[in-house]
Amino acid sequence: MHALTLPESGHYDEMLLDSGGIRPHYRDFARWLHSQPPETLARKRAEADLMFHRVGITFAVYGDDSGAERLIPFDTVPRIIPASDWQTLEAGMRQRVTALNAFLHDIYHEQHIVKAGLIPAEQVFSNSQYQPAMQGLDLPHRIYAHITGVDVIRHSDGNFYVLEDNLRVPSGVSYMLENRKMMMRLFPELFASHAVAPVQHYPTLLLNTLRHASAVDNPTVVVLTPGHHNSAYFEHAFLAQQMGVELVEGQDLFVKNNRVYMRTTAGHKQVDVIYRRIDDAFLDPLAFRADSMLGVPGLLSVYRAGGVILANAIGTGVADDKSIYPYVPDMIRFYLSEEPLLQNVPTWMCRRPAELDHVLNNLHELVVKEVHGAGGYGMLIGPAASAAEIEDFRQRIIADPGNYIAQPTLCLSSCPTFVESGIAPRHIDLRPFVLSGRDISMVAGGLTRVALKEGSLVVNSSQGGGTKDTWILEDQS
Amino acid sequence: MQLTIDHETVYRYDDTVSHSTQYLRLTPASSGHQRVVSWQLELPVAASESTDAYGNILHVLTLDTPHSEIRLKARGVVETCDDWLGQPETLPAPVFLRETALTEPDDAIRALAAAHADAMAANPETGLAALMLAIADAMPYTQDVTHAATTAAQALALGAGVCQDHSHVFIAACRRLGLPARYVSGYLLSDRDTHVASHAWAEVYAGEQWLGFDISNRKRPDRHHLKLAVGLDYSDASPVRGVRRGGGSEALQAHARVSEADQQ
Repeated sequence: MHALTLPESGHYDEMLLDSGGIRPHYRDFARWLHSQPPETLARKRAEADLMFHRVGITFAVYGDDSGAERLIPFDTVPRIIPASDWQTLEAGMRQRVTALNAFLHDIYHEQHIVKAGLIPAEQVFSNSQYQPAMQGLDLPHRIYAHITGVDVIRHSDGNFYVLEDNLRVPSGVSYMLENRKMMMRLFPELFASHAVAPVQHYPTLLLNTLRHASAVDNPTVVVLTPGHHNSAYFEHAFLAQQMGVELVEGQDLFVKNNRVYMRTTAGHKQVDVIYRRIDDAFLDPLAFRADSMLGVPGLLSVYRAGGVILANAIGTGVADDKSIYPYVPDMIRFYLSEEPLLQNVPTWMCRRPAELDHVLNNLHELVVKEVHGAGGYGMLIGPAASAAEIEDFRQRIIADPGNYIAQPTLCLSSCPTFVESGIAPRHIDLRPFVLSGRDISMVAGGLTRVALKEGSLVVNSSQGGGTKDTWILEDQS
Repeated sequence: MQLTIDHETVYRYDDTVSHSTQYLRLTPASSGHQRVVSWQLELPVAASESTDAYGNILHVLTLDTPHSEIRLKARGVVETCDDWLGQPETLPAPVFLRETALTEPDDAIRALAAAHADAMAANPETGLAALMLAIADAMPYTQDVTHAATTAAQALALGAGVCQDHSHVFIAACRRLGLPARYVSGYLLSDRDTHVASHAWAEVYAGEQWLGFDISNRKRPDRHHLKLAVGLDYSDASPVRGVRRGGGSEALQAHARVSEADQQ
């Protein structure tokens, strides 16, 4: 038997009911788990750690002075989602990504949504993520975000909420794939007894999406990486290898006669689609940051002339910026004439004086985020913060209100997780990946991140989070 | 009036450059203010032409054989008038409210802006003219004390600078006051031989139109001014911006001559 810590009441546990019973979609797994000797499972966990080290899936932690790479801890208890929940999630994400692409096309063209008074002009045009270079540019199929990672959490009411959209260079999909491979290797018997939806075809879907993004017949696709110092380099190499395309750095590419070429041992080869894992600011040192050594001089001019496709497009950050996030439900209504299927987290914008007052008076119970922050950096979690931390944040907000938004502290659902004392509930989120090509495609799955510290709500791997395999159970009916 | 422009830029490198790419904004576009009668670029190899985000004519020059010199020549004839109406706009004006690295305000720029806030609110045009004169007074035109990467804040602290610095300080102060402002690079017909013919000034969006201010010359731009390119700051609008592989250190020689075309 395993030492099992039960979840506190008041939040949603993915496996356990408040009564202590087990949710139907976890019953077979729970039965199996209790039949396994703890030593066997401990040995399997050690095996997983060793194999991840060998594969080389590591992650450089920003702000860690040692600069050391480390493993993202992998937990062997899967996060299981029943088919009915996934249908809701999938429909909601398709709707959301469709609206976000429509928004990007609109603000870089006619700006109907601004003219209709739904979003203030300065929120869009003074936003540093709005890229003037995209204004008036026509993209094939009007797709800006070819790859979107949507961060979703389940709240104590049992409903899913979208925490944020990632439309720039969303990462993490390699963990989704490697975690599945690992679970199948460690516990093949579980896949015989559960109808788990496959995820392994993601690289094929991604390649189809990238190829479809170009009007060229049989286009040449490459993955552009900032290089091996980047925290997600493993993923860049992994995806290039899985898709069977070249992994290149900026210095491998050059621009001539409105085309992009790759230097190869066999001479120059034209490149039609660049799956770029480099931020906008570093793409072209002649147009953006002059000190960028990562980009390709002249790339922007070729892109604007239609000589190459970038996935994702430049300037998608204006749609996933935290100051624009509160407007996504309005976008869905405006562009699709539909009601949002997935809910947004209620958000106070500190740039509005009345909402700023509310935030300053309730800091102890709110989560406050920097508008342009990412990766769990620069945020305050009121209930977990000391009085000094709250005061420090108060001063930062007062000094620059427009830079902050606040949300209620959500109760992320928990999932049983191996910890030192046995198995205990830990908070989790979910990042499925949405591909926009000929149509919208997704694999049934995603990356489940888990906050390994007891009670912690921060799941970011840079902040000590781990990952789990995510199972979408296929409907047996 | 008809202006004749003759502009040559030469980069010489200590070592061989194996590969270089340049963005050239050396070709004026016709507008209500200026009509391009003729214009030629003489470049080492043919360049691809397009327009950039701001509507400027952009040439991309790629040199992929070893070289130790790049010679760029622009020459042509343009007819100008005092009027600045009919500028084609590609971007919403609020885009020009954003700060850039070169125009980020510091306390001194914020104070300068605040000192002109009331005048600006009462009458934008006179307020802006007062701001222009205040900057020209605070930063007498001085060559070789600043360089291409000097920020507005640094130049104001120095109390000296050239047209680029004047324009950056002016733009930073205007944005601080909530007025969209942009950088203009161009040519100026000047009666003073000592003055550089390559020039920069600023435009501010006030009262639903773009108004020009030539801070260095303490005046509003007129038919002596010929517009090449606009941008958020110098780095967007600069006539030449390049990246190279190899080459070691570089020596730049630029000559721009603007003269009044012979009256027929």
